This record gives sequence, C-alpha cells and structure tokens, in this order.
Amino acid sequence: MEQVYQMNGYKLHVIHTKKFKTNMISIKFQNHLTRETATQRKLLSLMLNMATSSLTSQKEITRFLEEHYGASLNTSVSTKGEASILSVSSMFINDHYIPGKGALLGDILQLLNDVFYAPYVFENAFNDKILKLRKKELVERIESLKDDKFSYALDRTFEMMGEGNPLEITSMGYVDDIKNIDGKDLYQYLLECLENDKKDVYFVGDFDESYLELFNQHLSFPRNNNEYRSYYIFSNQRDYPQEIIEIQDITQAKLSLGYKVDCDRLSREYYAMVVLNAIFGGFSESQLFQVVREQHSLCYYIHSSYDAYNSVMVVVSAIESNNYKQTVALIEQELNKLKDGQISHDLISLAKNMLIASLEKSVDSPSTLLAMNYANELIHRDESIEEYINHIQSVTKEEMIKAAQSIELDTIFLLAGKDYNENN
Amino acid sequence: MKTINYKRIDETLYYDQLENGLKVYILKKENFSKTYGLFSTKFGSIDTTFIPLGEKTMVKVPDGVAHFLEHKMFELEDGDASYEFAKLGASTNAFTSSSRTAYLFNTASHEKECIELLLDFVQDIHLSDENIEKEKGIINQEINMYDDDPDWRYYFGSIQNLYHNHPIKVDIAGTNESVNKTSKKDLERCYHTFYHPSNMILFLIGDLDIEETFSLIQKNQELKSFDNPQEIIKEDVIEPRDIFKQEEILKMDVIMPKVMMSLKVNEILKNPIDKLKREVAMNLLLDILYSESSVLYEKWIQDEIINDTFGYSFTQERDYCFIQIGGDTKKPQLFKSEIQKSVENIDDFSIDEDQFERVKKKNIGSLISLFNNLESTANLFSRYLLEDVLVFDLLETMMNVTLEDVESMKPLLQKKYMSCFIIEPK
Repeated sequence: MEQVYQMNGYKLHVIHTKKFKTNMISIKFQNHLTRETATQRKLLSLMLNMATSSLTSQKEITRFLEEHYGASLNTSVSTKGEASILSVSSMFINDHYIPGKGALLGDILQLLNDVFYAPYVFENAFNDKILKLRKKELVERIESLKDDKFSYALDRTFEMMGEGNPLEITSMGYVDDIKNIDGKDLYQYLLECLENDKKDVYFVGDFDESYLELFNQHLSFPRNNNEYRSYYIFSNQRDYPQEIIEIQDITQAKLSLGYKVDCDRLSREYYAMVVLNAIFGGFSESQLFQVVREQHSLCYYIHSSYDAYNSVMVVVSAIESNNYKQTVALIEQELNKLKDGQISHDLISLAKNMLIASLEKSVDSPSTLLAMNYANELIHRDESIEEYINHIQSVTKEEMIKAAQSIELDTIFLLAGKDYNENN
Repeated sequence: MKTINYKRIDETLYYDQLENGLKVYILKKENFSKTYGLFSTKFGSIDTTFIPLGEKTMVKVPDGVAHFLEHKMFELEDGDASYEFAKLGASTNAFTSSSRTAYLFNTASHEKECIELLLDFVQDIHLSDENIEKEKGIINQEINMYDDDPDWRYYFGSIQNLYHNHPIKVDIAGTNESVNKTSKKDLERCYHTFYHPSNMILFLIGDLDIEETFSLIQKNQELKSFDNPQEIIKEDVIEPRDIFKQEEILKMDVIMPKVMMSLKVNEILKNPIDKLKREVAMNLLLDILYSESSVLYEKWIQDEIINDTFGYSFTQERDYCFIQIGGDTKKPQLFKSEIQKSVENIDDFSIDEDQFERVKKKNIGSLISLFNNLESTANLFSRYLLEDVLVFDLLETMMNVTLEDVESMKPLLQKKYMSCFIIEPK
C-alpha cells in the first residue's frame, strides 16, 4: 500500500490513491513525552500555524489558505504511550477539480517549509504579541476542558491512576508552566525538535513521481537516526483499587473506572485484548451496554476503551449519582464473568465482525489511512490491514480469558452531583 | 430510473421514485469499501400538530414524539435491529432533528442484506405499553445529559428565544413531563402518518451495482402494502415578526461565560432554488464578516473579546430561518455589543471583489472535499433532498454567485430581530 522514499532528513511515505477529491500531506515529529517539555510542545504547536515570516498574522495565513480553495493547515500534539507526536498537516483539493488552471502542491509545500524554517520570529524569539495571545488561549482551553464533565472525569482518572507513568502526563500542557515560557525558549525548542526529533512525512492522494522534485525543492530537514519508544506496559505499586469522589453542581454523575492491563502491544495477547474490550464495552452489543443500559436502564451512555500504548483500559458512564455503587458492582460483575470464561460465541463473532468492518472501512478516509500507516512506524512493525484482520479473526476464547485475567481495577473516579448520598 | 452525471466533480447519481411514493437515490463511489445507507423521513421535533392519516381533525402530540419513535424503532418482534446489523458486520445509528428523523447503516460487507434490513426495520414498529414505559427512563437520562451541556443549552436556548409560537422552539427530545405523558396512541398516530413511503427518502452511497440494487429495493417494497399516499396537513403556524425574548442569562457550572447571539429572518422563501441562492450568498456574507480571515475577527481576538471557539451559522429549513453567532468569552457584554454593532453598521460595510472571490473559492473547495466522506455526503444530500434540491445544485449555485447577490443579503440582518443568550459561571 505504502511506497517509501528516503528524502533529506525524513522518510516520505506515499499512499497512492485516486479516489479522494483531495491530497493530504502530514509531517510527523516524534520525541519522548516528558512533564518538562509537554507544555512547550503544545505551545509550539499552537504557534506554528499562526504565522510565518511572509504571512505575518492568522488573518494572512487564513487568506492564503482560502485563496488555495480552502486548503487547511493544522497542527496538533498527541501522545502514544511514551511518545509525543507533533503533527503539521495540510489537506487541499486535487488540481483536477479546480476551475480553470491551477496547481496547489508547490505552494502548499512552500508553506509547510516556512512553518518550520521561516516562522514569525524576531531576534531568535517568536513574535511576542502572538505568543501572549496563544498562551492566554491555551490557559482558557485547559480551563474550559473542565466544563466538559466527561472529559474532566477522564483526565482526573488518568491523573490519579497514572502517577509515575507517562499516563499521568497530558499533551495539553500545564497552566503553571505556561507563564514561564518566553519566545526565545520556544524558538530554541523548535530548533531542538528540528535537530533531534524523528521525522516522517506522509502523502495520501493522487501521487506522481514528478512530485518528488517538488518535495526535494521545498522540504528538507537535518538528518538523524534517532528512534523513540511509544508503547510500554503500565505498572504501579497499588494493590487495591483507589476510590475518588468529587462533588459538583451537576445533574448527572460521570463515572470512570481505570484498569491496568498487563499486555505487550507486540504480543498475540494484544489482539485478544482488542476483541475482549469490544465484547466488554466497546460497542452497542457489548456486555456493559446490554446489562447496564438495556437491562437496568441505569444510563444512556457506557463505553470501554483499550489504550494499547499505555496498556490500560477505561470504562466511562453517565449515571444518577445515587446509582453509583450499583453501577460499579454491575461493571465488576461483567468483568468477572469474562475472567471466568463466560463469553458467548455469538458475542465473539459479533465483536470480531464489528472490528473487522471498522478496519475495512478505514481505507475510505485519508486521515485514517495515514494514521494506520503511521501506527506501524511507531511500533516498528510492518503490518498490513489484511494481516491485522487475520489476527483479529484468529483470536481464541482461551486467549481472551487469559487477556481478561491480566486486567486489574486500579482507580474509580466519580464526579457526582450535590444529590449524592454516600450512605445508599 | 434517471441518471444524473455531474461532470464537474466526476460524480453520478441514480434516482427512481417507486409506486408507493418512496424516493430512492444511489450515488456510486467506485473503489470505496464502505456502503452507507440513510433512510429519512420528513418528520422532526417541529411536527407536533397535524391531521393523522385516515382522520379528519388536527391533533397535538406531546413534545419529543419524533425522537421517542426513533428510540423505539430498533426493537423488532424478536430481537433488536442493532444486533441484526451487527451480525452482518454493520454499524447502525439514528438521529432526530427539528425537521427530520434518519436511520442509517454503515458497512463494508453484506450490502444487500443491510439495505433490506434498513427498509424492513423502519417500515415496521412494535409498540407495547411495557416497552414504552422502559424507554422513558432512558430518554429522561438523555434529556438530563443535554441539560448539563452548556454548549447545547446556549445553542438551543438562543433559538427558543427568537420564536413565540413556532415549534422550532420545542426541545428535540421534549421535556421529562412531555416524555412521561407520551402514550402508545400518540406514537402510533405519528408513525402511521409520517413514516409513509411518500414522505421518505432512501439514500445509498458506495460501490454498488445500480441495476441489482434498484431491483432489490423494488421487490422489497412490492411485497408491502401501504395506504394511498396523502398530503400531510400540518398546523399553519402564525409567528409574529418580533422576537420572543431579547436576553436570557443562565448560570451553570462553567469556567468561562458563553454567549450566543441569534437573529431571526422573517422573509421566508418558498422556491427551493431561491432558498439555495440565499443560503450561498448569506454564508458568503457571514464568512466575509466573521471568519478567521476577517478584519473583525482579528480585532476581536486581539481585544480578547473572542477566542478560537468563536463560530457562526445560517439555518434555513422548512418555514424558519435564522443566524447564530457565538462562542466562549471573558467579556460577555462586550461580545454582545460588538456583534450588535456589526449588524447595525452592516450597510456601511464594504466588500471588495478580491475578498469576495477568495471566500467564494474557499467555499467551493470545502464543498468539493466533502465528497471524500460518504457519511457527510449522504447526510448533506438527504438534508437538501428534503428541501427539494440536489447538492450538485448547491455547488453550481456557489460557482455562479455574484458580489451583488451577497450585497443583497445585508437588509436581512437587523438588530431589532436579535436575541442574546448568556451562560455565566455560578
């Protein structure tokens, strides 16, 4: 599927297809996720798409993109276990669909180059006015995440559960760090990233080998052979689950349960965990959905997700505050059933079909195609979608029981309303 | 069967209307592995007062019936439609809006079975007093979830405050009271009336065999019998021009205030193409005024009146039409007065040709790239088909819009028809 070209300082991964109306280019910078650099990295991502030395304001950049038929320029930071990924991407429509004669690729590549090599700096420092603005916005964004009660409950769970592990570090950054970062530090940090990060560039769309010339002309980076880890196995000293209850003035409580999963991403158990998670709470036919929502009407929403990079699983639900103990008991009961091997064959087929269908559909989206290919790069494994599907299909009940037994409840977090009565 | 080949973006749409009135559309997407099917009815939360099929007098059903029906639809005589789709490797979902209800499936295999299942489970409903009571608990939880969501509250609250009588002010899921009052008879009446094939559209998108698929659908529908199609008579709403409430402040557990300005547009158009022209021109005007590339946006960001949550939209469906402009802000009063000022001064706001061309290109590019996504394409087509136009017409209208068209939108923005909804921290 993927064709790889060695370029100056990066590998160019080309996923060639004519079925989309657009082309997508994504530049990935990978390094360690650390508490010390988390905020800088986030702030850097917020600065990079605001301005360049030739397009000196958000207004100018936006006008440039509009002129190029609504091309996009997005930056983001995400975490994958121990790794922090800084992405700069652009999606733009294929020249074929532009009325009249037009060619967008060269201009887009130049823009991407300028983002890194011609940022809006003066005397080796990022523009102060823009930095001040972005810092303010970042503080507001971090604060307003607390307004999203689901998100807040989840973040608190990871914070409380993840002590001593990359899990506790958020890619959003920390309010306390923000005021101490100045434009000079941040520009230095950009230079360090250019020097030290592992770089991969992805192209998804109607590719022609003549484009390589344009890439060589517009985009090159310093070379290095650095490799960084991503997935790891979560562990801590806690033997008994911890329970944290917070009260806020809300109508509906948000419950989140964090589980440690002793499973290596590269092992066969990984595929068993993926199927098991689906069966447990990963879709609408799952045990949690059927028991907690359909049978007991305790919630409208309940879902479990498995993060293989951090090797943890989390269950989230929205319930009446006073159904807390009953809900937790039901969730634990369902997990114990899985540990005992009470897994119906019908549900196993259903879960596998659902997962496989998801995977098959992933080729229909440029960003998902890209993400799947990049995931292979992160775990240093070259696995095609077909191979992954075969692994899922061949998972056995015994493997799933073993996977279930490697799951241990670590943290319960309840964000309850004022009507919560701990004596019920 | 008709074939519409839209050469500009290499897309081909196939269409047929069956004897029972059902309209079927297939957009063929070669080399995509997914097939997406959307079965929608022109029945939404606003349709609460109507003459039921086979009856003679107008009835009013409790608020939230369209949404309630959506919840009940998945129950089969023996089993559950979600489960049946899951067995086929497909995922399924549904949603209710002010103006429509839609049921969908998304699959990479067993397309034929999925299409039939979609038709069968929606064209059949099993209502029992027991299953209705049980659903009330779940729906009430859903209402509570939305009640806690400040983004939903200010979005919907700002619409409610524009209208005195129009049922657009009815909450989509209803209220806890209206849900509890909903009877089996209410649900049956609505189902029988609004789920008649002549009131519905089936939209399929994927790498499908056209002949086979139409033949499959035809056969499926021939085996079923429906009453003769009849025009559905709904209440004629008398809505005064002025707005219901000028300002509302709601205190919620939020970190930062949120403000949503809403603007009522009273001149309701009937002709679908005129509506399309207005929509395109209005969206361009709003983009020129308020998008990230605008002078106002830059100023408001600098003055810290708005942040990157700032957004705006134009809604024109059935017989209602409004604009919304909102976002998070630390300066709610200033936010409000700045937006009001921008509307008051609209006649003095001059648009140059470059600005217009650039924003036009952006909109064209955005619409073309939407065709990458089967789900968005199906959704957009269905929404516009219920308004009697094709998305192809939308793109053509965009290609042909002029600066004069955009200028002609200005008189529709008037301060006296504006309302303000503020969410403040406790």
